Amino acid sequence: MSPSGKRSASFARLKLRSRGWLGSLLLAALAFGFVVPILWMLTTSFQAGDRMYELSTVWIPSAWHFENYSNALSRSPFSQYFLNSGIVAIAVMVSNVVFCTIAGYGLAKFRFPGDRYVLLVILATLMLPLEVTLVPTFLVIHGFGWLNTYQGLAGPFLIDAFGVFLMRQSMLSIPADYIEAARMDGAGELRILLQIIVPQCLPALAVLAVFSFRDNWDQFLWPLTVVSQDEFRTFPLGLVRFAEDYGSPPTEQLAIAVLATIPTVLLFVVLQRAVNRGFGLSGLK
Amino acid sequence: MPGLFTLGGPRRIRFHQRVQLWGIGFVLPTILFFAVFKFGPMLWAVGLSFMSYDMMSAPTFIGLDNYRNLVADPVFRASLFNTLVYIGGSTSLITLVGLGLAVAIKTRVPGARYYMVGMFLTNLIPIIVVCLIWRFLLHPHGLMTQLLHPFGIQRVDWLTNSSLALPAIIFVTVWRFAPYFMVVFLAGLLAIPEDYYEAARLDGANAVSRFWHITLPLLAPTIFFVVVVSALLSARIFLMPYFMTGGGPGNATRVLSMLIFETGFSYLKMGQAAAISVVLFAIMLVFTFAQMRLFERGELKSVG
Repeated sequence: MSPSGKRSASFARLKLRSRGWLGSLLLAALAFGFVVPILWMLTTSFQAGDRMYELSTVWIPSAWHFENYSNALSRSPFSQYFLNSGIVAIAVMVSNVVFCTIAGYGLAKFRFPGDRYVLLVILATLMLPLEVTLVPTFLVIHGFGWLNTYQGLAGPFLIDAFGVFLMRQSMLSIPADYIEAARMDGAGELRILLQIIVPQCLPALAVLAVFSFRDNWDQFLWPLTVVSQDEFRTFPLGLVRFAEDYGSPPTEQLAIAVLATIPTVLLFVVLQRAVNRGFGLSGLK
Repeated sequence: MPGLFTLGGPRRIRFHQRVQLWGIGFVLPTILFFAVFKFGPMLWAVGLSFMSYDMMSAPTFIGLDNYRNLVADPVFRASLFNTLVYIGGSTSLITLVGLGLAVAIKTRVPGARYYMVGMFLTNLIPIIVVCLIWRFLLHPHGLMTQLLHPFGIQRVDWLTNSSLALPAIIFVTVWRFAPYFMVVFLAGLLAIPEDYYEAARLDGANAVSRFWHITLPLLAPTIFFVVVVSALLSARIFLMPYFMTGGGPGNATRVLSMLIFETGFSYLKMGQAAAISVVLFAIMLVFTFAQMRLFERGELKSVG
């Protein structure tokens, strides 16, 4: 390489690096903007309650008031509300993982009369979210005698069309030879599913689990519709009542908010590697 | 199935039929579930929309009266208008911001990965917590107003001014969802072969024209997907206006899902509520048809 070429190359690298830092700074500022409200929630939840009414933002509290958490939990039956949300979210998540997997498998690897239309019919339910079918779905649950029950809370969400589609897509690329070979060896269909198919689509399953949990952990409109007894309230219903009550210190509302955020973040952290692959982000360093 | 009868004897047929039955068996629970919880209720809603029903007495057929009432009702017209403005506003902003962030992350500036994870946090927070945080931050004297203090602005009625409330809710929606679609865009960007950019660079194309002539065309299916999915999400908005503004001031942030709930369960006008459902359904139908065409073309692989 000639000396001049070398110099221009190193100059280009320098320019690239400085531009990289500028971009990094800009992106850092943007990301910080997105995160600020979350940090504000965290720090304010430890603030002295009376200070909060001044609406001053103190980023590092002068004294950490951990009692905000225990006070908030004692004011309303929030532990019961969290338990209810957890039961519903986990039931729906498990059901989705099971049924979306088997339905996805049936659609991806089996041929039967009308199979093409079945996928379309399932996808068509995407235009029938609960908000649209609220009144008749309530009447169905009412007819089952499921108002104020866990099965009533979880029922309409046990299978999600998007989950079925996600699982089907993740199974399409599994070679049919594997399945045929296992069948010739006399493996049962369920064993093929569990031992050959499922291990190949764990990233998609992780995505399904995280999003299914997230979407059902914080259910609001449906519990608002089918629950009238306090013992079946989910935490968003409890939090809305708590926030609407004028005596509730904002710091304690935010303490409940922090607690409510932990389960989803935790699940995401645990499954993060698989979720990354499920999203097709493994190429990112 | 071609070749089924030529391949082997009766045993072979029985074997294939048994496999086929397993396939049907795998799909059947889902079909039954959707019949009970999706298609049945939708047909019921269409039927109810022609009736008057309050759960106390038997439903009575009243023809198109529910729809006539809706057309005449200024609250319904306001809700329909707000819903459409909300869908349009949040969908376009989510798409632009999500794409912008993804392109920025893709440049692999130092630490990009951590910024991505940080921003994605907004997507893991329960919606009610999002509403609670922003109700405080958008208080007339809250943090958002404090940012404007240097400009001499001391008080902003973000949520109680009828021309600011809906934009404020759209802003919160973008904060919540743009990072999710950033990840979807990023997956799409990473799927574009680096060689294309390399070749364009050798041909002397600058960053803008590379984006315009390589990224945008190849990303088109992802962009379409994001637009459709965020529109479907936006059409379902309920809790944000319910909790942050109560639909007000006046009816400035009332949306169709709120009106369905109030009409059906506060006023027990189930037929009327069903008629509003049919209207909301019609809106979703437009977007879903667009989405189905996309799925049919099979251009999506792993977008979650």
